[in-house]
Amino acid sequence: MTPYMITFFVMVGVFMIGCFALKWPVGVSMMAAAVIGGLEGMLVHGTTFSQTITDLVRMMVEGEFGYIDTILTIACAMIFMKVIEDSGALDALSSLLIEKFHKVPAVLLILIMFIIMFPGMITGSSTAAVLSAGSIMAPVLMLLGLDNVTAGSVIAMGGILGMIAPPVNTAALVICAGIDVPYVGFTGPLLLLTLPLAILFVLMLGLPKIKNLDYEKLKPALEKQDATRKEYGFKIYIPFLVLVVLMIFFKVIAAKIGVTDLGMPVIFLISAAVGLFTGRKINPLKAVPAAIRTATPVMAILMGVGMFIELMTATGVRGFIVVTCLQIPSALWILACCISIPLFGAVSSFGACSVLGVPFAYIYGTYLGGNVVVCLAAISLIAAVGDMMPPTALAGLFAAQVTGVKQYTKILKKCIIPIIILLIWAGFILVKSKTFAWSVFG
Amino acid sequence: MKKKGLVSTCIILAVALALAVITGISFSKKRNFQEDIVIGSNVTGDFMLDEYNENLKGTVGDVKVYVLKGEEEGGKVLILGGTHANEPAGHMAAILMLEQFQVSKGTVYIIPNICQSGLTHNDPLEGTPQYLHFTTKNGDVRTFHFGSRASNPIDQWPDPDTYLHTSGDWTSDKIKEGVQTTQTLSGSEVRNQNRCYPGIKDGTVTERVSYAVTSMINELKIDMVIDLHESSPEYAVNNAIVAHQDALGLASDTKLELDGIDISIRLEPSPAKLRGLTHRELGDYTDAYALLCDVGNPSQGRFRGYTDEALAITGDDACYRAAYAINGGTLLYVDYSAGNFPLALRVARHVATCAQLILSMNFEIDDAAREVIVDNFEDADMIEEFYNDLVEADDIGLWLN
Repeated sequence: MTPYMITFFVMVGVFMIGCFALKWPVGVSMMAAAVIGGLEGMLVHGTTFSQTITDLVRMMVEGEFGYIDTILTIACAMIFMKVIEDSGALDALSSLLIEKFHKVPAVLLILIMFIIMFPGMITGSSTAAVLSAGSIMAPVLMLLGLDNVTAGSVIAMGGILGMIAPPVNTAALVICAGIDVPYVGFTGPLLLLTLPLAILFVLMLGLPKIKNLDYEKLKPALEKQDATRKEYGFKIYIPFLVLVVLMIFFKVIAAKIGVTDLGMPVIFLISAAVGLFTGRKINPLKAVPAAIRTATPVMAILMGVGMFIELMTATGVRGFIVVTCLQIPSALWILACCISIPLFGAVSSFGACSVLGVPFAYIYGTYLGGNVVVCLAAISLIAAVGDMMPPTALAGLFAAQVTGVKQYTKILKKCIIPIIILLIWAGFILVKSKTFAWSVFG
Repeated sequence: MKKKGLVSTCIILAVALALAVITGISFSKKRNFQEDIVIGSNVTGDFMLDEYNENLKGTVGDVKVYVLKGEEEGGKVLILGGTHANEPAGHMAAILMLEQFQVSKGTVYIIPNICQSGLTHNDPLEGTPQYLHFTTKNGDVRTFHFGSRASNPIDQWPDPDTYLHTSGDWTSDKIKEGVQTTQTLSGSEVRNQNRCYPGIKDGTVTERVSYAVTSMINELKIDMVIDLHESSPEYAVNNAIVAHQDALGLASDTKLELDGIDISIRLEPSPAKLRGLTHRELGDYTDAYALLCDVGNPSQGRFRGYTDEALAITGDDACYRAAYAINGGTLLYVDYSAGNFPLALRVARHVATCAQLILSMNFEIDDAAREVIVDNFEDADMIEEFYNDLVEADDIGLWLN
């Protein structure tokens, strides 16, 4: 196992040097780590130099394609976000929500949390949740009095809970595919895992800031938003409606009536196109490049992640990590599960589901005789935390972006207590999965 | 400063372009590589799968069905290899049987590359080799694909967020009223050949292939279908026969016979709620005995270490050895005490299991007019001899033409 350990340290070392000493972008550092680790690992195992180069180049490109669908979704979501921001739709919606619900701040907060979670619930992606509903709710939260770090934290936690909440949980689906378990009966366990946490987190983070909300004092700050709302009336909300209707139709209804899913990228683009005609004038030739420029670092990270995982797998480092986690005493497997899966999420949360989630699902669902549906649901929640782990931290980075927080780590710090609560809750349900077997339905 | 930026941008773009060209050539070569299946006199004919679904014509899924027909009329057996192209024992066992089986009675149909699309690429993020090479006893080197678990996205893309499996227009009087025949699966499973049965006539390429197989079984009145697979050593269904409820009798007979010649094999009933798989749907929507054979493959497991062609062939892996040392080996569902699990052993298990299933089918049907006889695997002794020879030689190249 020593050669694998060396390759592991080479990959991590090159990544750290690239990121922190040379100040390279995260995506470039990941690519460098993949290349150097791949070269070292393949040559040490006796692969010829020419074969090493051939395989290395192929695997770099092959790995990039592992996240091509996610990259497309992010690019299109950013275009949608830019359009609704420039059209004034965000301003108008903020003004409307605050006016209608300012008398019941706790209810308003819970409502906002569910709105943030909704796109994640039907797409299984925290990125979709944060970039669509998260970006819409960010100005509302900040107008209510939450500082941008707290608002970003609410959005980030809403994003990761949304991606796990039913009906669509991609993380669980990845694990289901790995151990041939049908995606049936997950609604109950996933609601049990996510709903209490969603209510707890939004009240814990947000209520102290807004419980003494004074709408009259807030009114001057809402002047611009109110004006936009009055100027364009109902039509300014049409892009949101189009997005919600298309999402519900294509994610919930379409497959049942034999209609092909358009996919999130096209849904975002259609909604963005509608937004061009419902509010302030927008120049798409300026808005689209600006949106893509904003998304580029994250898209680069995902490409680097793809290369990194592919070369890590080929050189045996992936297997080394999994087996090392299982070599600790079995009483500590739950700790290994709750620590290693989120940490691996630093590379990719879906990668963590596949690499570590599947073995732990075998362990808890089959080997230790737990309730397999409850176990998978709990592991998927643990894996979702990976979307908060730097450097990829998709939920956290985008939450920082939509709330204007420059250093994402501030959001991570604010979310540490909610994350610990989440891991304890998910770990408890994982260990006691049989006790929660009653929740399996839907 | 601006000029410097432009120069570095040009250099980066040139390097990216060069990498794209190099990998493009590699991907294109794999996409178009044709495996050299050497047909002997035992193969009496072939036809294309589009005979059973015209919507396959001109697609990558339109593969050749090889026919091994005996001189005497009898029963019919269909063997599917390459359903998951990252499970080489299934693919290679089908090729080996195609080149070795001497059928004297009845007909054996073999499709060694039922998911041809999956053979034409590798799974992103899995770091697997592209090809496997074997040297025959004549000294020729033969090259075969090591592919992906799923069809190539170039043939059907993008995947939906979730895949809702349905049984299309098929109906079955074997399925009780109220039993759910749909299934929500991970989006990428839409390209998994073994989640798309019984298939949809004008669906995706993967669904069309499944439809053609189901139609072929019904129209040719095939008696038994065997789908050859491999699975991760840590996966509970391993070294096993998975049988539709109608095939449990002959599968348990096969298990007993194989146990008798020291080939230990588990028997698993096909779960009624797991839809889309051969052992479930082909059993429900045709009259054939539907069975799936699984054998442990270290080169597809998540515990595996350095992944290359050698691992796929030898199954010798340091990480699996370490995993086998945890809790007395109970984490794995294959006996990894030898520290490896070679392809020759896995192929030998598959061939022996298929041969024994044919013998058991003859016994189960108990009708001379529907017998299938493979001369060189006519009884348990012959099966045992073949199995021991291949395991001892540890080289499937010696059994390839």
